[in-house]
Amino acid sequence: MTNRREILKFAGGAFACLQLPGAEPGAPLFFTVEEFALLDKLTELIIPTDDHSPGAHQAGVAAYIDRTVAEAYVPDEKTSWRRGLAEIQRILKESGDQLAAVLTKLAKNEKNPQTEGEKFFTQLKETTAFAYYSSSLGIHQEMGYLGNVLLPEFRGYEAN
Amino acid sequence: MLLQFPAANNSEVDLKTTYDAVIVGSGAGGGMAAHVLTAHGLRVLLLEAGRSQDTGKILHSMEWPYDHPRRGNMPPEYHALTNEYTIRKSPYAQNSPYKNVQSYVQSWGGTDYTKTLVVNEKEHPYTGTRYAWVRARAVGGKTNIWGRLALRLSDYDFKAKDRDGFGENWPISYADIEPYYDKVDLYLGVSGHPENLPYLPDSKFQRPVKLNYAEMHLRETLKGMGRVLTPYRAGVTTDGLKHNKYRSRCYGRGACGRHVGGCDIHAAFDSPTGLIRPAMDTGNLTLRTNATVYEVTVDKNTGKATGVSFLDSETRKSYQAKGKTVLLAASTLESARLLLLSKSSAHPNGAGNSSGHVGHNFCEHVMGPSVAGFMKDLVGKPRTLDDGRPGGFYVPRFRNLNKRSGFLRGYGFEGGSGTEMIPGPASTTPGFGEEYKKHVRDYAGATISMGAFGEVLARYENYVGIDPHVKDTFGIPVLRFSYQFGENERKMAADMAVAAREMFEAAKFEVVSSSDEMLPEGWSIHELGTVRMGNDPKTSVVNQFQQSHDVKNLLVVDGSTHVSASCQNPTWTIMALCWRSCDHLAELLKKGEV
Repeated sequence: MTNRREILKFAGGAFACLQLPGAEPGAPLFFTVEEFALLDKLTELIIPTDDHSPGAHQAGVAAYIDRTVAEAYVPDEKTSWRRGLAEIQRILKESGDQLAAVLTKLAKNEKNPQTEGEKFFTQLKETTAFAYYSSSLGIHQEMGYLGNVLLPEFRGYEAN
Repeated sequence: MLLQFPAANNSEVDLKTTYDAVIVGSGAGGGMAAHVLTAHGLRVLLLEAGRSQDTGKILHSMEWPYDHPRRGNMPPEYHALTNEYTIRKSPYAQNSPYKNVQSYVQSWGGTDYTKTLVVNEKEHPYTGTRYAWVRARAVGGKTNIWGRLALRLSDYDFKAKDRDGFGENWPISYADIEPYYDKVDLYLGVSGHPENLPYLPDSKFQRPVKLNYAEMHLRETLKGMGRVLTPYRAGVTTDGLKHNKYRSRCYGRGACGRHVGGCDIHAAFDSPTGLIRPAMDTGNLTLRTNATVYEVTVDKNTGKATGVSFLDSETRKSYQAKGKTVLLAASTLESARLLLLSKSSAHPNGAGNSSGHVGHNFCEHVMGPSVAGFMKDLVGKPRTLDDGRPGGFYVPRFRNLNKRSGFLRGYGFEGGSGTEMIPGPASTTPGFGEEYKKHVRDYAGATISMGAFGEVLARYENYVGIDPHVKDTFGIPVLRFSYQFGENERKMAADMAVAAREMFEAAKFEVVSSSDEMLPEGWSIHELGTVRMGNDPKTSVVNQFQQSHDVKNLLVVDGSTHVSASCQNPTWTIMALCWRSCDHLAELLKKGEV
């Protein structure tokens, strides 16, 4: 089991290894500082800190997404993220709603998204879930996953 | 300790010698042929189109995802085909913006491991009807990534025509192949629990994997329905193999389910450590990698095979290899392609193709229909370790055994239950926020799901041929597919979905999703037929010993020779048949009869 301190170290580490030569320490690789801040808030809304464990912010989910998008090979993989965040900004401004309320609306059609905003929510949620549940915090602290160890024998029921 | 698989030094490979046998392809069939023939003291040259790769070095099976810079995903310039099969026409990778485009197998695995094992679709196009074709070019072929389910066929399969009148019987019966299944089991190791079913014969089992709570509950429920749920029959050595120093016993790391197959301690069977490395230790085997074979050469007077022509996959220089016999094991579709490409005055339709049946009677397994749900008793319970084993469960066929259904033949289910490293409910739970997070946590250990594999009928009109207009990166004409699922597959798929739901409902599982949609043709990676066995040279290509009716010293020892697909996974049958044929070939060579 990884303890909280190690997780913090990991989240810090994720940022540290993101730095390009000459970039601000901790500066995002692809997104602007404003975009990154919005992305970080969105991911934390999707998987928040609760009584059980820290959420997406502490798991470095936005940093993971930033890095993936920065190295994406096909331009559309990058622009779809930028467009999506801009769409969220637009809805925020026009509706005057809180971010959480905007997400609730966009999540209604997540199985069959139609609008640009709904499609972005589906993409964002999928990516956030993968990044969170494949992080050290997600696997160990949140899920308490017990596998990936050498087992002399699997404990279970004998077929009879 | 596990030794590194030695890379063949290709410049030193002796191509002046006439070998007793030249084998094309190093997967299940080619590896087995190399093992059996070298054990008979014969001198063998094994040609593999891909490279030699050390799974132990590239798989990183115990690496945590967060320790990999892309969480195990391929580099950004790589892309896996997914919906392209449905929304585009083949060749699917044409005009793709990515540098390296790979088959769908990469998309469900989400892993870096197979990116050097499977071909770049941009370099190896194919044309015609929709087909998701997975091609592994590396020493060991697809045994490096196989799903490990090691099942036997029975006379319900070999003599299926006697039961329902469709297609052809195999030229062998279960009694002919049973001793060879036994040999494969004992030499390679298979884990399972005996059930004494006439339609799914038991193997010489090593220690079975155990079932978890939900699986055990489903087993009990199915008993009441006259159906069976048995622990996954894995081609994995759970007790170890004293005669093979290259393989370890299984340590329940659960790594096989987290990557696209592959076992870096080689507890799961793979051809390089299970067959080829021990065959090299006999001193009778020469391995030549990067050898893309494009023709079986024949003597224009006798019509007999003299060897093969190949080009080096890296230098693209052309070479000849000479053999008293030639054995093709390049995979079902590549072996057919090779026969069709080998046109000569003696064999104007391609080597061994006087019947015109090469490429035809192409069959496989249809996949897609599935069910997923939760066992309510397990929701919110303390975490258990559920994935520390080479597989979950298998539900053998139950249709068309004693009673006729509205379609022909049968299907089985592969499934599993419980917590995985990346929890299943993370991608199926709707919504977001605290409620979503808690739901994923509470339900992760309670999940159970299964998906069907059904027999696709072998029909003459389903075939592959050569496309004279399109060539691969080496200038070799590619395959054109004329293949699609038919009415029987559609009826079967509809029944699969109903039966799957019915079993879960009987077990009182909460069904979350179920599907009756067939995945694209090819998805099972169980392509079979195209060079079928038979007693009649007019309607079959090879005899019961996988020997060409036309070219006596040419054998085809892979899945292409299967007469029907059965619904059981084919790897173990490929190897048992090959062992039988190679024993027979060794006899013929000793008597000078080929």
